[in-house]
Amino acid sequence: MRTTRITATVAGAVAALMFLSGCTARDDASPNTAEPVDSSKLVSSLPAATGEVDEVTWALVEGEPSTLDPAGDYSLAIPNLCENLLQISPDFTVEPGVATSAEWVDPVTFVIDLRDDVAFWDGTPLTADDVAFSLERNRVETSAWFPAFVLVDTIEVTGDLQVTVHFTAPDSTFRDAIAGAAGAVLSKAFVEQAGDTFGTSTGGVMCTGPYVFDEWTPGTEIVTSANPDYWGGAPLVGTLTYTFITDGATLANALLAGEVDGAFNVPPASRDNFAGSDSGRLVLGPSTASYSFGPTNSTGAGADPKIRQALSLAIDREQFIATVLHGLGEPQSTFTPPFAWAGMEAADQYTAAYDELAAPELDLEQAKQLVEESGVDTATPLVVAIPAGAKELSQTAAIIQAAGAQIGLTIEIDERQPTDFSQIFFDPAARESIDFVATVGYLDAPGVLGYAQQFLLPAELGGFFNWSGYSNDEVTADLQTARTTLDPAASADAFIAAQQIFAPDQLQVTLASAYQTTFLQNGLTGVTTSVAVYSSPWALHLGSE
Amino acid sequence: MNAGVVRTLAGKLGELALTLFLASVVIFSAVLLTPGDPVAALAGGIRPTPELIEAIRAQHHLDDPVWQQYLHWVGGVLTGDLGTSFVYKTDVAALIAPRIGVTVLLVLYTAVLIAIFGIGSGVVAATRGPRADRAVLIGTSIGMAMPTFVVAILLIWVFARVLGWFPVYGAGEGFLDSLYHLTLPAISLAVLYIAFFSRITRGAVVGQLHAEHVDTARVRGIPRSQIFRRHVFLNASPQILAVSGVTVAGLFATSAIAEQAFGIGGLGSLLTEAAARKDLPVVQVISLLLVVVFVVLNAVADIAIAVIDPDSAKPRRNA
Repeated sequence: MRTTRITATVAGAVAALMFLSGCTARDDASPNTAEPVDSSKLVSSLPAATGEVDEVTWALVEGEPSTLDPAGDYSLAIPNLCENLLQISPDFTVEPGVATSAEWVDPVTFVIDLRDDVAFWDGTPLTADDVAFSLERNRVETSAWFPAFVLVDTIEVTGDLQVTVHFTAPDSTFRDAIAGAAGAVLSKAFVEQAGDTFGTSTGGVMCTGPYVFDEWTPGTEIVTSANPDYWGGAPLVGTLTYTFITDGATLANALLAGEVDGAFNVPPASRDNFAGSDSGRLVLGPSTASYSFGPTNSTGAGADPKIRQALSLAIDREQFIATVLHGLGEPQSTFTPPFAWAGMEAADQYTAAYDELAAPELDLEQAKQLVEESGVDTATPLVVAIPAGAKELSQTAAIIQAAGAQIGLTIEIDERQPTDFSQIFFDPAARESIDFVATVGYLDAPGVLGYAQQFLLPAELGGFFNWSGYSNDEVTADLQTARTTLDPAASADAFIAAQQIFAPDQLQVTLASAYQTTFLQNGLTGVTTSVAVYSSPWALHLGSE
Repeated sequence: MNAGVVRTLAGKLGELALTLFLASVVIFSAVLLTPGDPVAALAGGIRPTPELIEAIRAQHHLDDPVWQQYLHWVGGVLTGDLGTSFVYKTDVAALIAPRIGVTVLLVLYTAVLIAIFGIGSGVVAATRGPRADRAVLIGTSIGMAMPTFVVAILLIWVFARVLGWFPVYGAGEGFLDSLYHLTLPAISLAVLYIAFFSRITRGAVVGQLHAEHVDTARVRGIPRSQIFRRHVFLNASPQILAVSGVTVAGLFATSAIAEQAFGIGGLGSLLTEAAARKDLPVVQVISLLLVVVFVVLNAVADIAIAVIDPDSAKPRRNA
């Protein structure tokens, strides 16, 4: 999908990264603790398993999902249960899945053909009706996936196994979007019957994925089992149980003691302990996740590009990566992360343009000069909002604060409780008293336009987070062209033209990209280890070596 | 059962009703007054438009006057409808039910540990000479200075990670497995209270050892062990019981710390999480439940004291 899902998942995404240090583990402070990683050694998936395993216990560090409805939460338990129309491979390319083909037949008509051997867990065959229903369900303004459907005119069932989507204009982002949760396939009959209980612990879900939902005991676990009739072949794991461990130290201990078989997003602070483990291994994979902070108001110092540029010049990225990510990340030049286009046809074009962007650098003199030029009243403190209890973001805010102090800016940190924090994303009044908000975000499906549209376009065109009132006609026109041009090369040209204009304004001051972290016990293999875990059945090939 | 006990019981029931009413008012207002809009919790997972926010507010009566919201909630609770969780969209009862057992077991386990080691070491300190007294004093000083989460970290490190005797996380399945899983959490919760009870017991027992009736019993040649059971410990017990009710009730609240450290999905961790996410119906019901437990356990302790020492149930004279 296109969007960052910041609105929908900001509290959750942050929670997922709310790691506490693994303080019970050895603290011998080896000098290598934050040693940079050779990015060419990143792994996007482990070799497929060959042996069966009766039971695997997986810890969800983001905690218990509020729902298993793919439209309602982003829990990592969901992708193994409910499939999207197309599949996202670990390397972020989009492949056929439930849909054998999903292509443009003319500039405003998109045809989805379905496999004829797909069934829901209750045995009912998947039909075009289910798919049309599932897409319509996300095509409401209140859906987190709505941005993917803004150019859709009608969704029509044109055969038992065919859905045709009519557009008001061509949409270069739609195909990738339905490989994400915007294209999640649900049983129409089940959803209608379950009503409000769909996705809850009592109502459950009904999908076509490789694992079947068995039972959800609130507070304890979600039990799923292999779908013997899965169209792609039954998984090798008999029972896959999810437990909820949000405390970083508890998680690290449970993994190191072998009580949990694996987990994603394990705390970077426990890197040394994981490295010293003889029972399991830490796997690093490519990701679209990045740390950044951006302005929340159209007035005040935060809205001034010079102030953002100055702060960016005052922050030492290497130090940031060493302190906050314990070396498990790398600098990133703009808010659109390179892995987002890694699997796209025009990847080379995007990469060449990215390489030409100015890399973040440390230059205090220039930073001070920019502050002076901006003419802002440095006596007024700037406020950075972060969610309470998120250790990495708390460190991030402290680094921003220290950087500000070096160039004459006073920065205050406003730690907010989760709901209070998420209010920032939809209530203008909640943004009034703050200048910046610091977040961790990720893109769960390929595509370059997601962030750009949300941060740069006018609100009515999809600039949901364009709070500083950024407005540049050329950028708007280029981004619209990039979206409505189906030819990959031409679309890329338009995006790149826009990026050259907007990148220096740093609508988000990007601090670093964070690697996808996975811990898995020895003997197990086959999981996806890139950010593709958020929208693909990552446990399909899980099993023993 | 004598008149004093009956009077105490009736009085306790009246107190219970009054306390619950006052507590429900306080809990309800406190939860409403904390910062953060519950709409954020309700809108989880969706892109909230102004119209939608308005609809959510109306559906959940969030714009009604506070007293109306209160009556609506109390009316629901009294008729057995505990409400629907804002975050999980399921009945609060369905959320609480599977978690209540593990928390009750954890609290009882902790209470047993406190009774055995806290009271036991207090008696030892009071009766086994100055050396034992000194040793217990040092031990309890250390125990009192150890916050629960620090104990938890130490226990996990030593007994789960290095020695591998106990599991690191989870509540286990079935009674024996649960006891096994809850051992470290119970110890981590108990340490502070063991020290506390040790001191209280020691003080109460020492007080009785020097009481007149004990001297008299000694002069009459009654065996030491019998003197201790019948005269010293029995008379010291009201003091210990008086704090027991409060302690066990308090354990329900502090269990959150151990539940968090050991990854146990109990009531305490649900309460902490619900409070942070502004899941009002869940916070309200669990808080009220804690108040009920508190009042009931204190009433039980008071009645037990009244049975042991009927004088205490009568209007206080000069203490």
